[in-house]
Amino acid sequence: MISFLEVLERATSGPMMSAKEYDMKVFIPAVRKVVKKYKIKFDPNEPCPSDNDLADRVYQAAVELYSAVGTYCPDTERVIRFTTREIEEAVYECPKTVYFGEGPDRIAWQGRLPDDNQLPHCHVGSGTNTSEDVALKMVEAYARISKAKTLSIPSLTTVGGLNGSSGSPMEVLAGINMMRIARDGLCRAGRPGMAIIDLHPSCTSGVATIAAANPEFGARKSDGWIVAPQAELKMNFDSLNQVAYLSSWGANIGQEAGPILGGYAGGPEGASVVTVAYALHGILVMRATYHLTYPIQMMPVCSTTPGMIFLISTSSQAFARNIGAPYYALGYASAGPATKQYFYEAAAYLLAIQASGIGIEDVHPNKAVGTNQALPLDSEFTCAFGHGNIGITRKEANAIIKKLMEKYLSGIKNPPQGRDLYACYDLDTMKPDDELCQLYDEVIKELEGYGIRFK
Amino acid sequence: MEEKELFAELSRAVFEGDEEALVSLVQENVDQCDPLAMVEKGMMQGMVEVGDKFSAGEVYLPELLMAAEAWEEAMKILKPKLAATGASLKKRGTVVVGTVQTDIHEIGKNILANLLTTAGFEVHDIGCDAGAAKFLDKAQEVQADIIAASAIMSTTVPYQKDIVDLLESRGLRDEYLVMVGGGVVTQEWADKIGADGYGDLASDAVDVAKRLMDARKGE
Repeated sequence: MISFLEVLERATSGPMMSAKEYDMKVFIPAVRKVVKKYKIKFDPNEPCPSDNDLADRVYQAAVELYSAVGTYCPDTERVIRFTTREIEEAVYECPKTVYFGEGPDRIAWQGRLPDDNQLPHCHVGSGTNTSEDVALKMVEAYARISKAKTLSIPSLTTVGGLNGSSGSPMEVLAGINMMRIARDGLCRAGRPGMAIIDLHPSCTSGVATIAAANPEFGARKSDGWIVAPQAELKMNFDSLNQVAYLSSWGANIGQEAGPILGGYAGGPEGASVVTVAYALHGILVMRATYHLTYPIQMMPVCSTTPGMIFLISTSSQAFARNIGAPYYALGYASAGPATKQYFYEAAAYLLAIQASGIGIEDVHPNKAVGTNQALPLDSEFTCAFGHGNIGITRKEANAIIKKLMEKYLSGIKNPPQGRDLYACYDLDTMKPDDELCQLYDEVIKELEGYGIRFK
Repeated sequence: MEEKELFAELSRAVFEGDEEALVSLVQENVDQCDPLAMVEKGMMQGMVEVGDKFSAGEVYLPELLMAAEAWEEAMKILKPKLAATGASLKKRGTVVVGTVQTDIHEIGKNILANLLTTAGFEVHDIGCDAGAAKFLDKAQEVQADIIAASAIMSTTVPYQKDIVDLLESRGLRDEYLVMVGGGVVTQEWADKIGADGYGDLASDAVDVAKRLMDARKGE
């Protein structure tokens, strides 16, 4: 694989153009071209296709797309381009097993295949906005879920009651404080070696990420650090600075990306190809050893429409069959927490990604908007789902997803707001209240009636 | 080509984002046809159609942007002709749009800018990573009615408040309507910082902008 130094050299010597030229003259036409060439077609009646050839065509389209468009660096106004041979070599050489955590909580995370009999990697937690006063309890509650193998820690919205604006000293402090809280929470849960692999949601700037990475505050090389691009396929110096630091430190870097259905990539077909292209960008530019994807639809904003399920299913299959590195997906439900619709949407998304051969993470309620929306019960649901449905096939998943969609699609436009953590949890014991327990029991029975298993 | 047919062709070329065809149509007909009618009865229809279909999820951002690109190229030919005839396009109002300080997410802002244009607003896009002073400077320069600030991340949302604070500190709060939006922005946040409007989606924000302008004009 070409070196990171070579990537940086290309960032200063590649073809020059404005971001608008890149979007309009390079990216959009290239996406349209490969979607047509590789005959990628969304069928609303088959949101989770069982077509290996389609999955492989999505992958081939992604390789061709990425070799044509590369990664745009806004700071130098240049395109970092790679040949097809360089892309294929990088995919061949990228790690297929990655190690996280320490002691008894150390894990080896391997790629899976569609319709696989292997347990999917069960990742829990939420990198969404969380109040300072419950952040520690949330980490502890997540880490107590024994089936969970890795953790996302919350994003602190304030420090000492003050807002942590991006790029400000408050953001640096929020990142450092959350790192300390997270390690403390893991120790309290009896899992001090459990890996945190979403470092660091409180930090959006490079300086805050690098500050929070100081081991003095609890960060470890055996954790995972996610670095974000800008939509679509753009990577500025701030993000590249994070890669420069983290790769020199020997940390695991996670490629995270949220391609937009309805954005520059166009419809479900183009967005599926772009999602896989992000993984190629991740391996080459970000030196990523693991990958997190969270595509989202522009209108309506969520991850559970038929087009979105097709996108995540086909891109996951393409990745699993052709790249095979650790990969997981995060979905966004339109419905708020502690509602039946949330669980229907979450089940549909989890079915798609588990059957398509990647790792699972709890679906975030209420489009991840607002504070204290994620509940530890969402994570318990995810893990019970992952363990209960080992070996589920895409064909089985597709049939159940269609039935679930009949229940929730009409509710996406005006979804129920639900109740946040403060409203439905006892914050002393971190247990859900009776109303939520009853709703959960009912929805589990209902989902079991559709053929979904929980363990 | 008859006028009716010309207007239909202009509309189609804008809708399809066919810049070459649109520019060619405009060049061939601008000396024989009223430029204002070419815009309002022809091109604008295509812009409205692409905006409506985008809002309905029937077409996507590339189609919206390509229509806007074609529109801009055609207007380079038409603007001098409009100026020469003393005609001007009807506009609902003038809006400064941008993404706040340290936030480099531009897609939502771009969509809003395009949908506002299709709805008849004059739009001035100041780009991403724009501080409160940049919003205000541009608003003063173009005599804007509305300042629309996008923020995608929870860590950049606080900068929307800076715009309201700056207007208040300079005694200009009543001069401009302030709208906020973006991934994690809520009505609750908009109310908290004293913004005049909020849209969950870009299409909602356009409706809000229309309502705010109607109210300002006393309609």
